[in-house]
Amino acid sequence: MKLETHAWPGSYGERAKPRIGFFTDTSVCIGCKACEVACKEWNQIPMSMQGFTGKSYDNTVALGADTWRHVAFIEQKLPARVTDGASLVDAVARGQAIDGGIQTYQEGDGFRWLMASDVCKHCTEAACLEVCPTGALFRTEFGTVVVQQDVCNGCGYCVSACPFGVIDRREDDGRVWKCTLCYDRLKDDMEPACADACPTNSIQFGELETLRERAEHRLAHLRRAGNGNAQLYLADDDDGVGGGGAFFLLLDEPEVYGLPPDPVDSRRALGSIWAAAGAAAVALGAGLAAAVFGGRK
Amino acid sequence: MPHPQSHPTLDTFVELNGPDTGAWGNLRPYIVSLLKAWWGDAATEENEFCFQHLPRINGDHSHYATMLKMLDGGVKGMLCVGQNPTVGSANNKLMRLALANLDWLVIRDFQPTESGLFWKVSPEHETGEVRSEDIDTEVFFLPAAAHTEKDGNFTNTQRLLQWHHKACEPPGDCRSELHWIYHLGKAIREKLCRSTDPNDRPILDLTWDYPLVGPDAEPDAEHVLQEISGRKADGSFLSSYDELEQDGSTSCGSWIHCGIYKDGINQSARKKPHREQNWIAREWGWAWPKDTRIIYNRSSADPEGRPWSERKRYIWWDPEEGKWTGLGDAPDFPPTKEPAYEPPPDAETMEAIAGDKPFILHPDGRGWIYAPTGLVDGPLPAHYEPQESPFENRLYAQQQNPTRQVFARPENPYHPFDGKSGADVFPFVLTTYRLTEHHTAGGMSRTVPYLAELQPEFFCEVSPELAAERGLEHRGWATIVTARGAVEARVLVTERIKPLLIGSHPPRTMHLVGAPYHWGDVGIVTGDSANELLPLALDNNVHISEYKACTCDIRPGRRPRGPARPALVEDYRRRGGVRT
Repeated sequence: MKLETHAWPGSYGERAKPRIGFFTDTSVCIGCKACEVACKEWNQIPMSMQGFTGKSYDNTVALGADTWRHVAFIEQKLPARVTDGASLVDAVARGQAIDGGIQTYQEGDGFRWLMASDVCKHCTEAACLEVCPTGALFRTEFGTVVVQQDVCNGCGYCVSACPFGVIDRREDDGRVWKCTLCYDRLKDDMEPACADACPTNSIQFGELETLRERAEHRLAHLRRAGNGNAQLYLADDDDGVGGGGAFFLLLDEPEVYGLPPDPVDSRRALGSIWAAAGAAAVALGAGLAAAVFGGRK
Repeated sequence: MPHPQSHPTLDTFVELNGPDTGAWGNLRPYIVSLLKAWWGDAATEENEFCFQHLPRINGDHSHYATMLKMLDGGVKGMLCVGQNPTVGSANNKLMRLALANLDWLVIRDFQPTESGLFWKVSPEHETGEVRSEDIDTEVFFLPAAAHTEKDGNFTNTQRLLQWHHKACEPPGDCRSELHWIYHLGKAIREKLCRSTDPNDRPILDLTWDYPLVGPDAEPDAEHVLQEISGRKADGSFLSSYDELEQDGSTSCGSWIHCGIYKDGINQSARKKPHREQNWIAREWGWAWPKDTRIIYNRSSADPEGRPWSERKRYIWWDPEEGKWTGLGDAPDFPPTKEPAYEPPPDAETMEAIAGDKPFILHPDGRGWIYAPTGLVDGPLPAHYEPQESPFENRLYAQQQNPTRQVFARPENPYHPFDGKSGADVFPFVLTTYRLTEHHTAGGMSRTVPYLAELQPEFFCEVSPELAAERGLEHRGWATIVTARGAVEARVLVTERIKPLLIGSHPPRTMHLVGAPYHWGDVGIVTGDSANELLPLALDNNVHISEYKACTCDIRPGRRPRGPARPALVEDYRRRGGVRT
């Protein structure tokens, strides 16, 4: 497991704390939205009224400047499968019951309601932080990524750099805002507000190393229980952002939850972008020269 | 509360209300100790411990009975504490018409609610049926302190009481209920202090002397808890209701809570972390009665007193020690009563409960499926269809509960049910329910930005099949109509709502309309209230209305505005054969 980032722990020396993060186990999320409310209460975030969206019970829609936790509600209809933890006999009985017109609220008819609390990923390779020209975004001694609003000049480079669309500008303010992983609470040895409020421990907070191990156990347990599509998201050092300080256990593919399947630190493309720009400049120069000098023939 | 005719004296009250056997066989010590707690030294053996001071119940004073009486002009005033009947009760319009017949109304809440503003903002104002200048009710709004702004207890359905400490003073004029009731009582007693009228004795004789603390002269809530828990004659604290006496030597404000201040310690304020004790967590809070975490827990052992299952053992008989023991919970049984104990034929109170009968509050110590007393219906569980059902009762010839309370009157019309004319006008089943994001009638959540934004609009939930049948558009609007009213809601088409297939040869499809009921006319987010649609149809034991099922129609689009709204409802009544 490689947890080091560009600035942590190196630049902190002895003041570095263990890298901490969130493990959000969506398999036990009940969609109560206590995390959303606790986050807004603690961080004094303004109301962000979206109105009725029709997206199941999700009227928050997405993370943004005024939404640092977002609970997605996915209503999903899958064909009844033998592999859904049931015996072959169960599956046949279910199939007959459904064919016979018996409707139930159980998963036997293939319907399920997925809930998942999304948050800033506090990436190991955090493009938002790297592109920030003022140093407003920085890596804390806990290995998390935080914005200093008194330094932010509102340029918005980080907004386009974030592969998840997390960081966002507040319209009436111009500066960017996002989850701080409750930096102020961490400094007082307190758990972040969302994790503290979560009644089912779907949001787990702690040292990233411990959380990763726990997540592997949980995943193995769910797989054994027949959840073939269960998977960890952003728990891999080799993914496009070097793994997340906040990572997730999902019951289906990331796209189902509105998460990018293969997020990439946008700076990784910088080399090829510069090379392409350079090549374009050379070609343009050559073309111009040809036009100017060639025309004198 | 005693009834005037059947309970003329303390003796007859005890005789008619308490069985001779089981824990209720001690009703006399319980009631005498309660009277001592309320009237102190004034309560003596000679004056029946002030039993005659108790007010008498002379009729049905439950919520809906009171509102109906109010509608008919028989109620002068209402103290409405943390309740919002014009959103939360069935048939909201009937509730508003009733409030308009009051002389005065006191609303104690965090914010002015729909019930407090019924004279100014309501559907009838919009339709022109009502004008503010025609309403004579005088309304007082008293702002309430939140639980974080006062000391007190939460009691959950597990019977666990957990003390909460005041975190800050309530802002402005906000005060706790305790503050309000206590100082109101003091003001009344001051006005009566020179009275010689015997009718004023019950108020003047009350023990009404709690110490006041803090800048707002708040009565000390722990002193109230001490009175509830109870004391012996020497002033020392009682530890359990077994110690209550019938001679007036003990006082106790609530026998089931006796011992919550055992040893002079607020037992409900104990907060030992779960890491420092076993899973029963006896040192976290306090559970009534006698700090019993699982009630009737002698049932975890077989008749001989051995655990039914070693793996699930909880309370068992220790023959060597000659007492009940276990994992740490209080045995909910006489501690040294042997499993083999057989009561003598003439035994009374707990003596009459055999050693293998765990259900000590029942006079025979048994768990009851057959319930011969205590309910106006029964004695066995049964299935009846709701007042308004599209189906015949397939289990019994009796369609609806014969003991239900119905009130057929112009303000509360019912739909015909299956087989009667016009049932096709209200062809669907309406059910109401709550969302996680809102608290009941919304006074505590539609007024809070972070909750209001999570469920901002009244919506209804329908299946894709019903949406197709009625032309309802996802995220569009629908109008739901019953004989009580017409409301508009945003439409959420979802496979979570499944059409019911009922019967066979061939099965009949029945569509459901689901409607969360939290919205009203005031607050950060507003909307029509689902309870406008429901009739009053009550069970006769606790007089709760049938919120979960009635029939309705649903149609695409918003409801009409102005006089066209009641006209639509009137048209449905006429076509539906609704008689009022």
